[in-house]
Amino acid sequence: MAKKTLSTLAAVALCALLATDAVGAETGAPAGLNLSGPGVAWAGFVAPKESNYQIARTFNDYSNPVSGLGPVTDDPAHPFVNNEVAREMNLQPTYRVADLNNEAAKNLMPWVQEALKKQNELALKGRNGESREARCFETGVPAFHLNPGPMHIIQTPKEVVLFLAGRSRHIWLNVPHSRNPKPSWYGESVGRYEGDTLIVDTVGFNDKTFVDSYRTPHTDKLHVVERFRLIDNGNTLEVAFTVEDPGAFYKPWSGTRNRHRVVNPNNRLTEAACAEANDDYFNIGLEPVPTAEKPEF
Amino acid sequence: MHTRNFSIGAGCALIVAATAAAAPAAAPDISGTYWAASYSAKLAVVGGGEPPLNAAGKAAYDKISAGLKDGSILDKARRVCVPDGVPRVMASPYPFEIFQTPADQVTMLFELNHQVRVIVMDRPLPKLEGLITDLRYNGHSVGHFEGDTLIVESIGFNDRTFLDATGLPHGESMSTVERIRKTGNQLEDVITIHDPEFYTRDWQARFVYAARNDVRLEDYACNDTHRDLSGVRGVQRK
Repeated sequence: MAKKTLSTLAAVALCALLATDAVGAETGAPAGLNLSGPGVAWAGFVAPKESNYQIARTFNDYSNPVSGLGPVTDDPAHPFVNNEVAREMNLQPTYRVADLNNEAAKNLMPWVQEALKKQNELALKGRNGESREARCFETGVPAFHLNPGPMHIIQTPKEVVLFLAGRSRHIWLNVPHSRNPKPSWYGESVGRYEGDTLIVDTVGFNDKTFVDSYRTPHTDKLHVVERFRLIDNGNTLEVAFTVEDPGAFYKPWSGTRNRHRVVNPNNRLTEAACAEANDDYFNIGLEPVPTAEKPEF
Repeated sequence: MHTRNFSIGAGCALIVAATAAAAPAAAPDISGTYWAASYSAKLAVVGGGEPPLNAAGKAAYDKISAGLKDGSILDKARRVCVPDGVPRVMASPYPFEIFQTPADQVTMLFELNHQVRVIVMDRPLPKLEGLITDLRYNGHSVGHFEGDTLIVESIGFNDRTFLDATGLPHGESMSTVERIRKTGNQLEDVITIHDPEFYTRDWQARFVYAARNDVRLEDYACNDTHRDLSGVRGVQRK
């Protein structure tokens, strides 16, 4: 009887192998971290049924880590009113003004503090207050995660690709870093699954991005580690990250960004045309969108 | 022993048959990274000759190509990096990647301005009337396999793009059908363009790519330095 069960199991296993989709359809993902599927996306923000200031504040911001140093936040004297807070609380949206006195700010090297101080002054004058993302720049890491829209994820045995708001990032699986990665906007990300967690290590950044929407700069020594895992019965994708940059921050700092599982087969990954109709129509000192002086080829 | 193997095989056939009844047969694998070996600013017509522009098409083409030359018309795809449109995106001298997971769509990700084309595999082609408020640069695409060939039908294009870098025009009612097939290490895309607004007849263009799974797609940002394209014939960096 036991033998028969075994051979039946073997047969089922063999059949499963034969019935598997074409190679291209394999995900290589552990059962507990299957992030793609028909119509599956990960929304950076889902509005609660009743207005909630604290939740609305997470619309396009990192959350603090469970413990340890967190990200730059808003100046309590000038609380940031994002579009969601504005909508839910019936307030006028504001530009971001960074708190330069808290623990996170003390962790910034003087040149970084100076940069934020200048940006704060501009923002308070109502100028250059849009995030880099809103001006169609590539966002870098971890700022890639800030967009509240739906993230689509494709998993293959070779890589994980993150798609968000017209941008994309490649995470190359089970390979070491290149010896000298060419500096780039999203750096060189290598990842591995550890149980049901995807651990991503990224280096090789250029120094043209900001690590947050306060426009906190960094150097090309930036190093980011992200841990992706599912919590809340698989309905929430938690991205916990740690940022270090010996050229910009005294100590590493951390943050999280949760995304919520949404399933809608009619709402697929789609194209983006950020630079369309994104001029500074009202002459409010907006950063020009990236523009090539002449066609590249 | 022989009998036993046979019985496992037969049981398996039953299970596979049951699976097949529940889900479509496994699709041919065309996933991977591809890179054209040559680039042409001008779209070549299959069978030779010039694109069969009608009078309206000729007028539009003259106006656009003159405007691109004197700068009165901006090539937005190259200057501010909005999507190229179809088929221009398929002529890109940069590599691109095809994914076949999740199973309900084929996704093309292009290095050039990280454009995406999603080919929906489980829905019929939508009607143009239903798309007029959602016209897109790269259109709306659905697909299915016929044998080893992926047939992609696309509709719902906005008219902000050109068919090629010389400014070949198209209208919003354009529809295209592509036959995409992998043979050995080569991927071929034969596209049929149907646009009676600007062309006297349906016509075709053909793109060929080499499978390049040794290549990683890189970041692409407008007005940045980009990868070496010296291996692609016909590209002239400006």
